Amino acid sequence: MMVERPLVSVVDDDESVRESLPDLLRELGYAVRAFSSAEEFLASDCVGETRCLILDIAMPSMSGPDLQRELTLSAREIPIVFITAQADETLRPRSLEQGAVECLFKPFSDTALFEALNAVFRVR
Amino acid sequence: MKSPTVAALSPERHIGLVVPRHREPRNSSAEDRAAPWLGLGIAEIGAMVGGLIRQGRPLPVVLTALCQLFDATVKGYASTVLLLDRTGARVRNAAASSLPASYLKQLEGRRVSWIETPIGATINAKTPVIVSDPVSDPEGREAAPATAPGLRFHEVSPILSLTGEPLGIFAMYQHESDPAVTRCHSALIPRFAHVAGAVIERMRSDEALKRSAALLERTQQLSSTCCFSWRVETDEISGSKELCQLFEVDRTDVALSLELIGARIHCEDLPSFHEMIERARNGVSDFEFEHRLRLPDNSVKYLRVVAHRTCDQEGQLEYIGAVQDVTHRRHTEEALATLRAELARAARVTSLGVLTAAIAHEVNQPLAGIVTNASTCRRMLAVDPPDVEGARETARRTIRDAERASEVIKRLRALFCKKGATSESLDLNEATREVVALSVNEFERNNVIVRTELAGELPPVRGDRVQLQQVILNLLLNASDAMSGVDDRPRQLVIRTERAEQDRVRLSVRDTGVGFEPQGVDRLFDAFYTTKSSGMGIGLSVSRSIIESHKGRLWATPNDGPGATFSFSIPCAPQDVPARVTGVRSCGVIRTSAEERHVRSL
Repeated sequence: MMVERPLVSVVDDDESVRESLPDLLRELGYAVRAFSSAEEFLASDCVGETRCLILDIAMPSMSGPDLQRELTLSAREIPIVFITAQADETLRPRSLEQGAVECLFKPFSDTALFEALNAVFRVR
Repeated sequence: MKSPTVAALSPERHIGLVVPRHREPRNSSAEDRAAPWLGLGIAEIGAMVGGLIRQGRPLPVVLTALCQLFDATVKGYASTVLLLDRTGARVRNAAASSLPASYLKQLEGRRVSWIETPIGATINAKTPVIVSDPVSDPEGREAAPATAPGLRFHEVSPILSLTGEPLGIFAMYQHESDPAVTRCHSALIPRFAHVAGAVIERMRSDEALKRSAALLERTQQLSSTCCFSWRVETDEISGSKELCQLFEVDRTDVALSLELIGARIHCEDLPSFHEMIERARNGVSDFEFEHRLRLPDNSVKYLRVVAHRTCDQEGQLEYIGAVQDVTHRRHTEEALATLRAELARAARVTSLGVLTAAIAHEVNQPLAGIVTNASTCRRMLAVDPPDVEGARETARRTIRDAERASEVIKRLRALFCKKGATSESLDLNEATREVVALSVNEFERNNVIVRTELAGELPPVRGDRVQLQQVILNLLLNASDAMSGVDDRPRQLVIRTERAEQDRVRLSVRDTGVGFEPQGVDRLFDAFYTTKSSGMGIGLSVSRSIIESHKGRLWATPNDGPGATFSFSIPCAPQDVPARVTGVRSCGVIRTSAEERHVRSL
């Protein structure tokens, strides 16, 4: 492969998201890894390599924001796009305040996802 | 101490017998009767001091006047009334007209034993002691010490109560300078002692009465309570002045009567008021009820009345009781009830919000998959050459996620339909009474007057008690809601149960509310049809499905007057054949706007 594709990691406990989202991301030109939990992601060898984290907010045991804090504490800051199935309008401003690039409400369109990723990689 | 004037004592000005219970002593000798002043009998003495009592003069003044009368009548003698304390052992105070104040002062607080004989003897024997020659009586001299200069102790008489208890001593002294020693006193002293006793007892009981009345008045004030008595025969109502104040009736204007009170009763409470009066006339032993007053300034007062049946002295039926102004309490209760309802509503809204969020979360997950898969699919087909295999896979996942979303909805439905209908034999009257009891606060808050007319002998029905109660509650709350805007007529709700044709029982709820348009009757029972600003409009449709599952019928009819009547009829429980409630399971909650306050999942 001539140009190395940036790695986007998806962390979501929902299987259909783990199945569908990587395909779409690949279509958008990214390399993708999917993890079913924050712990699984932290234990993987992808943490350092990941250029963007698409992170579910509500997960059993370690939540999305928990993972965000963990990464900040260990000085491994990765741009985060939160995704959530919760219909709570206050989540977005709170997430952005905490340093997330974007917060998308499920179901979100490919356009919204595309724009969020653009924001991530423009910053970088 | 102000001595009464002679004018104040004159019998012309103070007629009337103060001491009717005293008997005229019988020891008047012929010699006594010959003396002109001996015509002064108990009646005359009593009349002379009676005026002072009626004027409300204090006891010492009246007793001093008595002594003054004696001293003025019997020349050469000075009298005193020694009042004993409650134990009868000490002189509490002394009243006299012409004895030196310093001498009287000396006697106060002395033990009666100090006075010994003859006064001590008087107390013990409770009979008059005649000291014929006080000079030769050393004890008598001692009892009347030299502090009463120029006076010789002469004679005493006990002052006794009706029950023979010593109240005091009537003592007489003779001026030493006066040579006219006569037996003038033989009849007179006991008479004065009798009058003194009557005066003391009368004034003490007056005082006790006054104190008790003052205590009662104060208690009434403190508890916002008034006492009353009501003679049923004559409709005479008497009570404290606070009673008139309570009804805001000017006492000087007109006497309190049932009519007058009736005019003050809140029009909505009049029927129950009349009913209560009727029951009282029929002689119920006690009654207790609450009603509202509509006062001239249009304010509303809440009263609580408790009465006990008794008979007056003539044997006539009389109720004595108390009226308490509970307005403040009721207002507090109302505020509390409103607060509680708001709290319950807030809690429900909160839990509803939580539920909605849970549902949204469950549905949004597969929806996210659907949208993402479909987006990917479109992109895979848009490239050249199209990635048909990838598109097929994402389309498969799209369908799978859609099925998953549909599963979520099914699970939710199952969650709400968890409880199936049960079937038991039940008394519809009892079930109705329970619901009415539950709704009392609701009705009170909406100022709805509820009348229950439950059939005496109602055969049992078979069905799901909770479901049927839910229907009854729904009908009651709908009726209450329908009357919430009614102000020009009583908000009356009548719940009736009765036997209907074909072995059925019927329950109807009649209101005086806004009613419905006859052409709208068909839509009433449609789901999501509502005339209310809040509520989902599924109450009646679910109610109808419940009744139909009980093989019954639910219908509505407009009243001749204002309002509507909703009724249902269901079959009686078959004899010895266990019935089953079949078919429809009720789903979710019956939620009308009124039931926002009484949501109970079925």
